[in-house]
Amino acid sequence: MQTDLKKTPQPPIKKLEAKLLPGEIVVNEVSFVRKCIGADSSHGDLWGKLICTNFKVSFITHDALPKQRFQVANRLLGEHDVPLACVEQVVTVNDAKGKQKVLCSNQKLKFNPTELILYCKDFRIIRFRFDEAGPQSAKKVCLAIAHYSQPADPQLLFGFEYIGKQYYGSLGEQVNGVDPGGGLQMPLFDRPSEWDREIKRTGAAEWRVCSINEGYVVSPSLPEYFVVPVSLADQDLKQYLCFFTAHRIPLWCWNHPNGSALVRMASISDPLQQRKLDQRICSAITKSHPQRSDVLKSDLDKNLPNIQDIQAAFVKVRQICVIEPFEESEEKWLSSMESSRWLEYVRAFLKHSAEVVYLLEGKHVSVILQEEEDRDLSCVVSSLVQLMLDPHFRSLTGFQSLVQKEWVMAGHRFLHRCNHLKKNDKEESPLFQLFLDCVWQIINQYPAAFEFTETYLTVLSDSMWIPVFSTFLFNCPQQRTENSMDFAKSKCIPMGEEKALRFPPVWDWSQQFTPKDQALFNNPMYVGKGATCVQNGTVKSFRRTKKNYSSTLRGMPSSLRNILMDGHDSLTLSRRNSLVPRLKPDFSQIREVVESPTERFFRDWVSRPADLQGMLIPQLLPSHLALWRLYFLRWVPEASIPKGGPVTAYHKLSQLADEVEKLQSQLRQYKGATPASTTTSTPSAPQSDHSRMYFKAGSTHESSSTPEYLSSSFPFSPVGNMCRRSILGTPLSKFLNGAKIWLSTETLANEAL
Amino acid sequence: MVLFLTGHYPIVHVFCNSVDSTSTSRSDRSAHAAKTPYAMSSDNVSTSTEFSPELRVAKDVTYICPYIGALRGTLTVTNYRLFFRCMDREPAFVLDLPLGVVSRVEKIGGASSRGEVSYGLVCKDIRNLRFAHKQMEDSLRKSIFEILMKFAFPVSNGLPIFAFEYGQVYPENGWKVYDAQAEYKRQGIPNESWRITKVNDHYEVCDTYPSNLVVPVNIPDEELKRVAAFRAKGRIPVLSWIHPESQATVTRCSQPMVGVNGKRSKDDEKYLQAIMDANAQSHKLFIFDARPSVNAAANKMKGGGYESEDAYQNAELVFLDIHNIHVMRESLRKLKEVVYPNIEESHWLSNLESTHWLEHIKLILAGALRIADKVESGKTSVVVHCSDGWDRTAQLTSLAMLMLDGHYRTIRGFQVLLEKEWLSFGHRFQLRIGHGDKNHTDADRSPVFLQFIDCVWQITRQFPAAFEFNEYFLVTILDHMYSCLFGTFMCNSEQQRVKEELPKKTVSLWAYINSQLEEFTNPLYVNYSNHVLFPVVSMRHLELWVGYYIRWNPRMRPQEPVHQRYKELLAKRAELQKRVEELQRDVTNRSASSTERAGSPTRSITPVQTFV
Repeated sequence: MQTDLKKTPQPPIKKLEAKLLPGEIVVNEVSFVRKCIGADSSHGDLWGKLICTNFKVSFITHDALPKQRFQVANRLLGEHDVPLACVEQVVTVNDAKGKQKVLCSNQKLKFNPTELILYCKDFRIIRFRFDEAGPQSAKKVCLAIAHYSQPADPQLLFGFEYIGKQYYGSLGEQVNGVDPGGGLQMPLFDRPSEWDREIKRTGAAEWRVCSINEGYVVSPSLPEYFVVPVSLADQDLKQYLCFFTAHRIPLWCWNHPNGSALVRMASISDPLQQRKLDQRICSAITKSHPQRSDVLKSDLDKNLPNIQDIQAAFVKVRQICVIEPFEESEEKWLSSMESSRWLEYVRAFLKHSAEVVYLLEGKHVSVILQEEEDRDLSCVVSSLVQLMLDPHFRSLTGFQSLVQKEWVMAGHRFLHRCNHLKKNDKEESPLFQLFLDCVWQIINQYPAAFEFTETYLTVLSDSMWIPVFSTFLFNCPQQRTENSMDFAKSKCIPMGEEKALRFPPVWDWSQQFTPKDQALFNNPMYVGKGATCVQNGTVKSFRRTKKNYSSTLRGMPSSLRNILMDGHDSLTLSRRNSLVPRLKPDFSQIREVVESPTERFFRDWVSRPADLQGMLIPQLLPSHLALWRLYFLRWVPEASIPKGGPVTAYHKLSQLADEVEKLQSQLRQYKGATPASTTTSTPSAPQSDHSRMYFKAGSTHESSSTPEYLSSSFPFSPVGNMCRRSILGTPLSKFLNGAKIWLSTETLANEAL
Repeated sequence: MVLFLTGHYPIVHVFCNSVDSTSTSRSDRSAHAAKTPYAMSSDNVSTSTEFSPELRVAKDVTYICPYIGALRGTLTVTNYRLFFRCMDREPAFVLDLPLGVVSRVEKIGGASSRGEVSYGLVCKDIRNLRFAHKQMEDSLRKSIFEILMKFAFPVSNGLPIFAFEYGQVYPENGWKVYDAQAEYKRQGIPNESWRITKVNDHYEVCDTYPSNLVVPVNIPDEELKRVAAFRAKGRIPVLSWIHPESQATVTRCSQPMVGVNGKRSKDDEKYLQAIMDANAQSHKLFIFDARPSVNAAANKMKGGGYESEDAYQNAELVFLDIHNIHVMRESLRKLKEVVYPNIEESHWLSNLESTHWLEHIKLILAGALRIADKVESGKTSVVVHCSDGWDRTAQLTSLAMLMLDGHYRTIRGFQVLLEKEWLSFGHRFQLRIGHGDKNHTDADRSPVFLQFIDCVWQITRQFPAAFEFNEYFLVTILDHMYSCLFGTFMCNSEQQRVKEELPKKTVSLWAYINSQLEEFTNPLYVNYSNHVLFPVVSMRHLELWVGYYIRWNPRMRPQEPVHQRYKELLAKRAELQKRVEELQRDVTNRSASSTERAGSPTRSITPVQTFV
């Protein structure tokens, strides 16, 4: 599994030994441990060794899962491993004494545990039994897991040891393929040239890269390089800095082809300066607009839930989805979902972003997103706005650069929001997960518009809990530099010219997955540039023309445009004054039709066929937002649809897309082949490893029927990953005879494994 | 003058497109897409059965759209449809609905001071429509109202339902889609344990059953009659489906006439024993009573009831807790309030929950899943009944068969399933839908069939590649169940259909559907053989069918993007294959000498089987 990472090939392991990464050490271990697999019986449980290292909780076994279901393999982790950073809660149980304790760092445990339950950040619930294990060693391992999963200092996060190790090797050389950013075909926005390119790409002529924060001298939470209006000189900016919360002056995010800009900034801390500063900033942004359009400010703190609200919603939705017994939560499922407010918040962010889209696209004005610190809600809204307006960000690299730009570089506090150190409970908030859910909602509504799949989004969120990636380890780029320096100093690591340790970004997916598994990220339906579509039976090519991409208002009658611009719907007003009120008493179901310009704009857009290479506005009716089942329910065995789920359609599409790719490569080879050299250059079967598709066409039996291992959880498996304690101890018969459990024992027995 | 049709293919096409996801008529905004062939306005139809002397065209009528507001235009009413067109908007706004969907027409308020009068139409397809116009001197309101009352409710007015006048000719006779004998033959019947009896040839044993019935071989016809006496409405247990391997069967019937005194019937007991004996794999029989046990017990007061386990020794009785038609009707009424015209944004999920609609869907699916599971995994035969055995029983047997038998998941197989389990076994469509009947408060009306189609849709969501048909197919079936354009859903039983000579006098919906299968085909369909579907019956997976219940909302974008994209890829593949073949021919021609070459390029690719 991790052989690619090993320098020297290991002999086949006979003894149960932990497979360690560079810099990883075993802290404690205990043998004869039973890992629970089925929820309701010990049948199929695995025997092995439980190991706590400074990186993960590892379970090593010779046993194989009784009936293997597909589970995508991670190169950094073994089949049964859980990174310590992924452990949310450590619970020890002693059955005989009827005791249960949630373990924290540096705690004592007064009983010998018979059972260990790990509640994971990725929603898994994993259980180990110590019935046959040495009681003292079991206890020690439990305490070690509790202790090591709550590091006191960021530098104790495994990534430091892992990356640091490479510097002890041959300096400057690539070790274990870790090459941060190198080989990645995407900007990380840590250098001016990448910002320059983005300025050019979006045609933001009146904007420039500013480097006053080089070395983080003016603001620790801002990136070293960012983009500002040309009309603002460095001197001006330095002057304004101190009036903004945490010195976070306005940052340019993106430019609409019509010249309108999307800008984000912190609040102005000095009320006396408020007006003056607002004016200066707005006039500078107006000057950068080719039509000198107005600037509107959108106060996110006022209009959106705060980070504590979001955290509370997330905790509740998790409670409903995975903690509560399946059948019990079934009865009030819909109202429980509603009371969690998670979908309401997802919708609020989508809606707010769509309204900003309307301002940029429909009203041609620039927009400033303002938030107290500009490090949380702004990240979500600015990314969503750009996803809706710019098809570039719907490609895989485009999306990654968006996260890099609006989250990592903009200083989203990943360290605190993820609560990697487990001591920032009040700061913990799943902003990034919320963003991914919003993205999923758009994908769900426009499945051909994105180059990547929901599996990609899920895997991306899981990567937050593998603490080796620069992306999710820090609160801001400056913190990465500072911690790198400290760590290097304390460990005598020669850094040379480098400013920070070379943590790989999560975007280097080869760190975690084989090229074959990375194909799971590719959406076979993606309509990218030059993709074909069929209209009325004829094949056409998509061309991204300026016309259909930009303003949808161009073709509108000027009267309507005025209505939109005025912010008054005169038609609605007159209507209101005439017919409807008089009819109202009679028409119990007729409400006054007062359509806001925004609503009209959306409705107008919806009434035309969607151009996937143009603006995309999600449908915002509450009935059209769904629970992201793969993310929330993938580990829940009862919710897993055997041989079903969206993946069965994906399978079919993937095969067809693969076939199309093969034909295209065949065509290319034919065109490359000169008639004289046919013998050698005749296309043979195209190299399958070049295919972007996970499921290949024409491969043996798979060609038409759905593989047995597919389920709605694919490419994850609930087997052994969701052992809720509550079900245990309930006699199987009672479980089955419950009025609302439908499948027979036979089927359940087959499905449970 | 707007002309209407029938007998003319393109027009029918247009009209039937009114639910097409790609066309506009799906919602009020529908008419905005220029793509739709609005042949309606073109004068290309000369003769038509649709016209009547009372055809009414009213100018300057206001349609009060709950989404866009008041629209002024022309309203036309024929004996088949209501057609409203507003020319003020670009593109023109068109509302086109068959009068069959109208459940009730009501005058709203009296004439106001301004002389405006209005009336509302409550529709069976979730919509409500409101019109208003100036009070004319010739009292136009009255006449339009009367025309509507007359043609929306032909049955109440002694007029024929429009299906009897619709004269469209299709290449296929849809009435031949279902041949009971052929279907039983497909199932391997008759066999050593089951026979087809002619005892009900003239509907004498049971007038709500079909003429072809499958019963255990060792029960002679005379005994069947005695069993019929013990079953409500004479609906004896008969075979619906048999497992091709285990021989476990799904049989259906009505409740036993047990009554308060716990009456028994030796013949009925023997009969059920025979059903059990016909399956060598199991020594047990499961009786699934669709009702809540309380309701089943209450039925004893009316002479009905359920099988006591004393009387039926090897049978196990299970109640499935599905509520009756009145509860379901009430649930749909609440659902309509929640989804039409607008959705209240703040409490969507709890509002939806309070309608209990999905809960009912869940119970029905769960019941069907238990039946399918018993038959497939338990290899045990099952008997399914409710009270009369024509509502909940039809839902359960047909859904279980859909899970068990891939044939019913094809387009034609599904048609057979409906013809068999619903139409031939006497689901009372006429009563449940109230075709052409103005009595909208009739307690016999209930959305039983709609629930079934909703359940089917839920399964297709969980298994997107397991069905040959698409969502549009299901919507089309529902729309035409109300439209009264086709004879398929007329009457209450096979006997009535024969008597009314429906196959002779009307067109079958399947004739229309099978004439353009492409429209209804799911391109992702994979014909897995012997694949039993076990959907997950959980609120976590059930969802409101927005493509049906919320389709009138103009904020909803109708689309089937996955299917669309698949078709595009198919077209792309075909194009590439053609080009590769051309190039290959070129290469072969030019280098005819190199014949020793192994393998030609095209051979390296095994084309994936396609279903389009």
